[in-house]
Amino acid sequence: MDGRTMNDQSSDYQVGGAQRNEIQNEALLNDLFRAYRNACPDPEPSVSFMPDMWAKIEAREASSTIFSRFAKTLVTAALGASVLMGLLSASYNEPAPASEGSYIQALAADHASSLEPLQVERISEMEQ
Amino acid sequence: MLVEFELLQQAQRGDASAFNQVVTAYRRRILGTISRLIGRPEDVEDVAQEVFLRLYFSLDQLRTPEVFEPWLYRLTVNASYDYLRKSKRRPESRMSDLSEQQVMMADAAAGSKAQSEEGERHRVRDTVQSLLASVSEEDRILLTLKEVEGLSLKELEQIYHVNENSLKVRLFRARQRVLKNVKGVTRRRDNIASSGYGL
Repeated sequence: MDGRTMNDQSSDYQVGGAQRNEIQNEALLNDLFRAYRNACPDPEPSVSFMPDMWAKIEAREASSTIFSRFAKTLVTAALGASVLMGLLSASYNEPAPASEGSYIQALAADHASSLEPLQVERISEMEQ
Repeated sequence: MLVEFELLQQAQRGDASAFNQVVTAYRRRILGTISRLIGRPEDVEDVAQEVFLRLYFSLDQLRTPEVFEPWLYRLTVNASYDYLRKSKRRPESRMSDLSEQQVMMADAAAGSKAQSEEGERHRVRDTVQSLLASVSEEDRILLTLKEVEGLSLKELEQIYHVNENSLKVRLFRARQRVLKNVKGVTRRRDNIASSGYGL
């Protein structure tokens, strides 16, 4: 009984120790973050900061202008080509249809000979 | 807000001098945030110029003054993230890989008065940057904005356009990952102290 109590107590101490360590680590981490903030003050910008920034802005603007010009040229060319193709297709004379009327009528015209009405002989005529 | 909305409106209309004033008002703050986010002093100005470049070309979309600062932060976060993703030069060291000397430095960072201030700052920077290297770039930026820059959850919500609960979950997970490495620091510190290799 005493042994169990001692075991319980020692595990309590272990749990308590682990919790204490957790709290200590949390506090250490918070201290480190705070110290890091103080150890890294906001740096002073160099003298060339603004001129370099404007040079980059102008370079980006120039490249975007070239790109937009290229895009506009491409769009204009595509528009011109489609108009041209439209005109060409409109002026193209379609050949007259091979035959007027429906498909069945055309088919009948092609096979006129084989579609002649059957000459059914009457039985009476056959008997004679 | 560091500038009047009228000044922003003038900049929107293409007034270069107004835009210069806006940049002048915010550049130190932006430079500071970027330096803490990317941890590369030599590239901080380049990234800051990219932020203001993006601002210049998207300023005409701004409608209300309240969203200007979160928007500027968003541009800063995106530019920093793009930089980190492109360069991939971030040191990948983890706290468990740090030497005993670095562990002692980490410990000393907490409060050794004997060291010079600059040396101490250097050690703090190294320690925190090593700790933050254990999480993804997105989480590193989020943690830095919350814990180092001191932005509130509301402000982060405006920057990230996600709800507060998802932000809390992401922050908690990222912090837990960093804490695992802090445990490594304290364990090593205890080992060093018990072996008589103390400071």
